[in-house]
Amino acid sequence: MGVIHGEEMVLNIGPQHPSTHGVLRLRVKTDGEIISEITPVIGYLHRCFEKHCENVTYDQVIPYTDRCDYLAAMANNFGYVVAVEELMELKVPEKVEYIRVIMAELQRIASHLLALGVYGLDIGAFTPFLFMLRDRERILDIFELTCGARLLYNYMWVGGVSHDLPKGFVETTFQFLDYFEPQIDEYNKLLTHNKIFVERTADIGVLPADVAISYGVSGPNLRASGVKWDLRRNAPYSIYDKFEFDVPVGDGAKGTLGDCWDRYYVRMLEVKESVKILRQALAQIPKEGDVHQALPKKIRPPKGSIYSRTETPRGDLGFYIESDGSPIPSRVKMRSPAFTALSVLGEIAEGWMMSDVISILGSLDIVLGEIDR
Amino acid sequence: MSADQEKLIAELVEKGLAGDMEPINAIEDRVLRSKAKAALAKAKRAAKVAAASAPAEEKPAEEPPSDNPNQKFGKMIEDKFPGSLDADLNDTHIQLKPDNWFDIATWLKSEPALHFDSLQCQTGMDLGENILEARYNLHSMTHDHMIEIRIAVTRDKPNIPSIEQIWRIGDWFERETYDMFGFHFDGHRDHRRMLLPEDWEGYPLRKDYEVQETYHGIIVPKVKQGWE
Amino acid sequence: MTVDTLFTWLGGLIPAMEGSGTLLVIAILIPCLVLFLVVAVNAIVMVYAERKVAAFMQDRLGPMGQGVGLHAGKWGLLQTVADALKLLTKEDIIPEKADKLLFILAPFMIFVGAFVAVIAVPFGETVIVADFNIGIFYILAIGSMGVIGLILAGWSSNNKWSLYGGMRSAAQIVSYEIPAGLSIIVIIMLTGTLSMQGIIQYQEGGLFNWIIFANPFTFVAFFIFFISVVAETNRTPFDIPEAESELVGGFHTEYSGMRWSFFFLSEYANMLVVSAVASAGFLGGWHSPIPGYFDSNGWGIFWMMSKIVFLIFVMMWFRWTFPRLRVDQLMNICWKVFLPISLINIFGVGFWTLIFG
Repeated sequence: MGVIHGEEMVLNIGPQHPSTHGVLRLRVKTDGEIISEITPVIGYLHRCFEKHCENVTYDQVIPYTDRCDYLAAMANNFGYVVAVEELMELKVPEKVEYIRVIMAELQRIASHLLALGVYGLDIGAFTPFLFMLRDRERILDIFELTCGARLLYNYMWVGGVSHDLPKGFVETTFQFLDYFEPQIDEYNKLLTHNKIFVERTADIGVLPADVAISYGVSGPNLRASGVKWDLRRNAPYSIYDKFEFDVPVGDGAKGTLGDCWDRYYVRMLEVKESVKILRQALAQIPKEGDVHQALPKKIRPPKGSIYSRTETPRGDLGFYIESDGSPIPSRVKMRSPAFTALSVLGEIAEGWMMSDVISILGSLDIVLGEIDR
Repeated sequence: MSADQEKLIAELVEKGLAGDMEPINAIEDRVLRSKAKAALAKAKRAAKVAAASAPAEEKPAEEPPSDNPNQKFGKMIEDKFPGSLDADLNDTHIQLKPDNWFDIATWLKSEPALHFDSLQCQTGMDLGENILEARYNLHSMTHDHMIEIRIAVTRDKPNIPSIEQIWRIGDWFERETYDMFGFHFDGHRDHRRMLLPEDWEGYPLRKDYEVQETYHGIIVPKVKQGWE
Repeated sequence: MTVDTLFTWLGGLIPAMEGSGTLLVIAILIPCLVLFLVVAVNAIVMVYAERKVAAFMQDRLGPMGQGVGLHAGKWGLLQTVADALKLLTKEDIIPEKADKLLFILAPFMIFVGAFVAVIAVPFGETVIVADFNIGIFYILAIGSMGVIGLILAGWSSNNKWSLYGGMRSAAQIVSYEIPAGLSIIVIIMLTGTLSMQGIIQYQEGGLFNWIIFANPFTFVAFFIFFISVVAETNRTPFDIPEAESELVGGFHTEYSGMRWSFFFLSEYANMLVVSAVASAGFLGGWHSPIPGYFDSNGWGIFWMMSKIVFLIFVMMWFRWTFPRLRVDQLMNICWKVFLPISLINIFGVGFWTLIFG
């Protein structure tokens, strides 16, 4: 059979594009509709986070971490303070631990809702996006109740949190959880099992497990490829070992293992698990306790370095902090999960059509703030 | 200080070391008392150092194999690739020479007992005095152990073999480290800047980095020093 | 009113010019102007309706206002007027390297393709501008002219993305004409006439005389026809040519201001036309469902309009519920699913009529 070679076209998707989740440029070489090569070009949102960290004190770094992954700011804060506290060998009161877990799990639900909604939007389904954002608004209202901010909180401090839980927090959150759990079934009916959506996402962009590990992919992307690895379970930090929850793993239900639908569905299941953790945490949280009790007067970790990881909605967030004994860090390196997730795009998106590239990119759930820092 | 006073202080220090603080506290003269206390503190510190170093001399004979992964695997690396360690083994990291890093890395990944299949983080450090250090945090999914490898090079010759063919994430990590610090990763197939534009001058995360004045005619703002 | 009745009436009004050519021209122009107004009003109403329907389906309110004169009028009714004013006053940007003549021509071609088809649409028993004896054939033919405009738009923008959109849409529309046409053949087989009024007259007698209920094959043919025309008008789930999240704007990326609004005017005019054809062909046109009641000329307009409005609502419902199909899946469905089913329908209707009379 003769093969007709058309001219290869080099296109730029982005940096301004409705569905690149930020300022990302994808250089694609296409042959008709099929992509033969795809190269992500990043750096449009580089704000010198790591250089800033070398000029401010440890607690002044926390607002900067918020702005890295701005859609899951609590998780970034959490990762950073866990790292600094491990370096300083500082123990925080139990109430603070519970508050942190509650905030992190609420943030996980909010981030996943946005990721799933935006993914539907990329595929063309406008309505689930708005439904999920409506529910995310309620979570942001809960955050606003606690610390006054909706998106960038500066909430978790080294040794504690910035504000104690307000009166009525537990009731409000329980109300939200009771309202929210049936909504997950509604989303599944509307989008997850919709035949057109399944055709657009199943069997597309398959990410094999060994490729994923070699590329450092983590979080829901890795779990969708069948690897049961969750830092909250395998390397527990804070008080995650006190809670009972499952770790959802992709199983190729609608197509191949590790395709876009699996990545979508793992996030949906994780939302359910977060609701479980939240219910347990809210029931067990100690009522009394001062959240500012363990705040150190001056944060001066001993000389040394540490690499500590936490599980954010996007994967394993790693902080490599080197301290030289002064109040200002010598080096803070943030190893972001979206960075590794984007690096695998070049490998799994080749050979697919243009619409599929958008689909694969959406399923990886990247945030450019975290990639570029 | 008079000889009498010195002798007195030596006696008081001896008694203090034995645990008896009474004679020192009974001295009326404030100056003498404080001198005695200072001498006591100094003697205690010296005693501690002597105690610490003394057992160390006997250690090599009795020391059980360390459970710390850095120690354990550092020893295995030294056994397999003699001469590759650049410093003594310790609990926090393994210091390697850059020469056969590629072979060591391949072995670290392929050896079944180690199986470091995941490069968690790769970063650079500017240690001052013309030394740049690349640090690798390796993790094994199968065995769940983690080590840190550090490779120090000089600014004049910042060449390190590239491991991007072993751990594919090394591709982007090394590009970023090159971008920020100016390392050169030999054998990297796509050695160009990651976050900064291709024609940017300088390596920002080095401690002596001076920002360029303008970039294509746009004035570059300077990083403020000292926020406190 | 048809041109003829208007001609004779005007002749009666101005006996001096009775039977002259100028009067004929005037008699033709007036209904056309009225139709133009109908299409324009339809566009305005549909833009507002789409936004409100979308909003209510998405659990929000859509354009709102507290009263005439304040932001968008009561319930946001003046929103479309505000939008139209804004679009009229926008700067007209034509990209430098674009093919100027084709760039300007494209929106007009699409609009003409949609608008000229409306003259054959029957709104009531005597309310039709031109009752061709090849009515339905004429509508399908003229409707296809819009494709040329789309391709011109994509090509002349000198933009790779627009080109993609133009190519995709050309492939899509041309493909989906076929199942639509084959489903119309089913109607023609039953009624024996191509004239729109003739088809509607065949369906008199109430709900169960409508062609959709004539036999199971026509029932299926209705759905094939409806989905095919949704694809022809570039509505989601078939709106790949203007897929916002993939190609920014597809074939209309480079257009701004009034030129851009022409594309949407023509999309809404197209929706009107195809809903009218579906209502006339399958749903009984201006006949009322209950024979004998509400059957006068005025009621006929009501029934026709309500069927058209219902079908347009269903199209909007589709848009806000379903995700988008990929180009090759779209073509797959057309050629491998709809086409065989349409062919089976034709045979089926033939056999049914043969056997059951």
